[in-house]
Amino acid sequence: MTRRQTPLLSVRDLKVVFPTPIGMVHAVDGVSFDLEAGQSMGIVGESGSGKTVTAKTLMNLLPSYALVDGSVNFDGRDLRSLAAERKADKHLWGVEISMVFQDPMTSLNPVKKVGEQIAESMRYHLGHTRKAARREAGDLLEQVGIPEPGRRLDEYPHQLSGGLRQRVVIAAALACEPRLLIADEPTTSLDVTVQKHILDLLDDLRAARGMSMILVTHDLGVVKGRTDEVMVMYAGRTMEEAPTEEVFSRQGHPYTEALIETIPKINSTSHTRLVPIPGQPPVTTSPPTGCPFADRCRYATDLCVAQGPPLTPLGNGHHVACHTPVGTPAAETALAANAALGHTATGLEIHQSGVPIGAVIGGPGEQN
Amino acid sequence: MRLPAESQTNAPYVPVKARRLGLGFWLPMGWITLIVGVALLAPVLPLKDPTDYFIRSGERPPYPPSADHWFGTDQDARDMFSRIISGARVSLAVGFMSIAISFAVGGTLGMVAGLVRGWFDRLTSFLFLVLLSFPGLVLVILIIALIDRSVLTISVTLAVAGIAPVGRLARAATLSFAEREFVTAARTLGARNSRILFRELLPNVVIPMGALVLLGVAAAIVAEGGLAFLGLSLEKGVTWGKLIRNGAGTRVLRDSPWVAFGPITVMFLTIASLNYIGDYLRDFFNVREAGLER
Amino acid sequence: MRFWGLRVGMLIALLLAVSMLTFGAMNLLGDPLFNILGPIAGDTENPENIAKIQAAEEQYYLDRPLPERYVRWLGDFVTGDFGVRFSASGQPPVSEVIKERLPRTLALAGMGMAFTLAIGIPWGVWSGSRSETARDRLSTGVAFGFVAIPNFALAVVLYYVVGIRLNWLPFRFDAGAPFWQRMHQLVLPALTLALTGSAVYQRLLRTDMITTLQEDFILMARAKGLSRRHILLRHALRPSLFSVVTLFGINAGAIFGGALIVELVFGIPGVGSLFVESIFREDFPVVLALVMILTAGFVVMNFAVDILYSVIDPRVRQ
Repeated sequence: MTRRQTPLLSVRDLKVVFPTPIGMVHAVDGVSFDLEAGQSMGIVGESGSGKTVTAKTLMNLLPSYALVDGSVNFDGRDLRSLAAERKADKHLWGVEISMVFQDPMTSLNPVKKVGEQIAESMRYHLGHTRKAARREAGDLLEQVGIPEPGRRLDEYPHQLSGGLRQRVVIAAALACEPRLLIADEPTTSLDVTVQKHILDLLDDLRAARGMSMILVTHDLGVVKGRTDEVMVMYAGRTMEEAPTEEVFSRQGHPYTEALIETIPKINSTSHTRLVPIPGQPPVTTSPPTGCPFADRCRYATDLCVAQGPPLTPLGNGHHVACHTPVGTPAAETALAANAALGHTATGLEIHQSGVPIGAVIGGPGEQN
Repeated sequence: MRLPAESQTNAPYVPVKARRLGLGFWLPMGWITLIVGVALLAPVLPLKDPTDYFIRSGERPPYPPSADHWFGTDQDARDMFSRIISGARVSLAVGFMSIAISFAVGGTLGMVAGLVRGWFDRLTSFLFLVLLSFPGLVLVILIIALIDRSVLTISVTLAVAGIAPVGRLARAATLSFAEREFVTAARTLGARNSRILFRELLPNVVIPMGALVLLGVAAAIVAEGGLAFLGLSLEKGVTWGKLIRNGAGTRVLRDSPWVAFGPITVMFLTIASLNYIGDYLRDFFNVREAGLER
Repeated sequence: MRFWGLRVGMLIALLLAVSMLTFGAMNLLGDPLFNILGPIAGDTENPENIAKIQAAEEQYYLDRPLPERYVRWLGDFVTGDFGVRFSASGQPPVSEVIKERLPRTLALAGMGMAFTLAIGIPWGVWSGSRSETARDRLSTGVAFGFVAIPNFALAVVLYYVVGIRLNWLPFRFDAGAPFWQRMHQLVLPALTLALTGSAVYQRLLRTDMITTLQEDFILMARAKGLSRRHILLRHALRPSLFSVVTLFGINAGAIFGGALIVELVFGIPGVGSLFVESIFREDFPVVLALVMILTAGFVVMNFAVDILYSVIDPRVRQ
């Protein structure tokens, strides 16, 4: 993906810290990425990786005690300073940038009619009259694929199924024609069959409106074949940023490699054991100086422990934050050395074959 | 205007309220201990006689607070300090007695209704509803007016007024527990209702309800005070409400406010302390209108 | 429709039960004959007294069985005939007295409720949105104080502070004064009624608001870029209104009950003070009528609260 013009969204070295009774939690610890207009990006990471906090920072939804550093630029405007100003642009969030949340049952106000909740932003931001907004809301319901939109406008959230509710939430998010839509785990609360429909819907809407989209998820399967780019986050940092196909075909970061390995393959033989990643994500109150994934990485070297790897380009729009990116000579050397030693620089035990012990249930490399 | 932290699932930091028992807890506790202690020990304490007249020659009562009379005297030159303590004895006694009866009767009715359901439940619920239909002290005043104004009658009548709220809470608490699995399990094992009542429900319902006792006592004291203020409480004896009534006349209030404000202050501190501790206990056990939550 | 039919049926059953309880209590626990005639009621020897007793019995149907008396009374009551006063024969009938006094109490109660809502709700919303700040802690303390002080004590305190010391508001009620002046005189008593209630509202609403503001749909509303004020008033308040409505019903009872005391302290010749006076004079037709009126009013008010529930929460309708 070549960068033609200034990106719509540009995030540089974003850091978000929350003061808590147990210490300062570094939820986001240096995240950088760009998003072009019309492009879609998936932010993938496990719970606690900081992906949701990143999304919330973009939407100015952080609690007041959050400490933010770094820069966030949207269409040339500094979002952080806009957020800090009391009298800032009241018509940016909700209009140009919009968000869809995970659980449609709780994101919708239970005592307000569905039509009202969609029309609300149009009346507040765009000054539409009640009638005009209602008409538009009906149109939106149609666009998101809800049958009998006219009737639905006067219904309450509890009268709709989960999939329909999420469509309503999407309709509400699209009401003021945003240029960027952020979807935080939009399908996690839904049935599997409905998930595909919702994701397809988002794709269609994006294409039709030329909208940019950020899809936040813990499930790699959600982004496959759908997003233009993927950013993999771990312990609050960007681990890898690449075009989607590359993430699946040529992973750069060991974490991504391990993530792909965890996905059960449909053509495996029966009783194939699952491949988890050994260890736990780090406690974010004390961010390590080195690479946060080192504890669980089969390639870990002393350099990895000592120095946090910067985000380096691998070419073709592919960036990796790793001293030993997968497939490089550095990685092969490191892995061979660790396998011979029986453990990595962080003490993670490695089997001769190179697979971390504890990574496969029942023993390394066993597939029966 | 700022909005506080949003939903827990997203914000990692929630301001933690100190669960520890700080000064805020021990202060009211201390007061309650003090007032109850003094009330109980009054006969043996070196207090002035509350019915005695301490007239000073040349001065017309009421006398303002002084070293001799810590709370001053009333219009008949009776020592307010000892009168307030006498009042404490009666007000507290009536309060505790009526709540004891309320909880015993109302609690039992509510628990049985919640467990047994059926016609008994419907009947008691209707009964509660009827009792609750009388606003304020109306029912209490009516009954007292018809019978007499002895300590027993007043305590029992206040107790009757308290049966409905207590009963409803007990029923709701029992319902929320009776539906839980361990009661169903007990039943399938063949346990009879009475056994379930005693072994399973009683400890789980009674203890949290007990948290409400202090709040109930406070309410009973206030109710008795209201009655006394209207002149409808005990015929003989001193209660806080009576004392306040005594000091509430326009002239007395204007010229010698301590006659009313002494008992008002003591009563206020007592009610506030009971409320505070009662609130704390209620939060601790998480008793709500709809039932109990752990 | 069935929903309403059941409710109305319950309402009527309740009112009947209340009337039976009250009537029964008065005739079984009390001695009407004694109340009317005094000590001579028990006289079985003096022919003059016996004649009086018989006359009284006839006039008040006391020789008939209890259920019949009840039905008679109920019939009269429902048509507005509350009988004549025991204590003052020749005086205007009970209904007249009540008619004269009731508007004052209604004005007092109405004002009291209006003040309660006008103070309590904004206060609660304000503190709910600013929880844990210093100002909020202070106002929570103040609210706690108001709840802890009994209404008669508060009446005395306000009477003293505002009426006597500061002399801001008149503290005596003058039935002969023109309308607006009378309303002015009711402000202090109404305030007395309102302060305790408003503190209760504040505490409840504050807790509710804090809880509601942590809901996800508030997050979504913020994501929509709506202003804080818009969110507070249009999104956060509505779900919190349940508790407010419930409280309204309970508070109404407290206001009715509190009116008794407040009328006495401030010398307002309303239905509350009539009640207390009649109790002392053992004037039972009045007492009976008043208990019925106050209670019926309260029951109907709670019924209205129920209706309000289903309007606010569409989920209840199903």
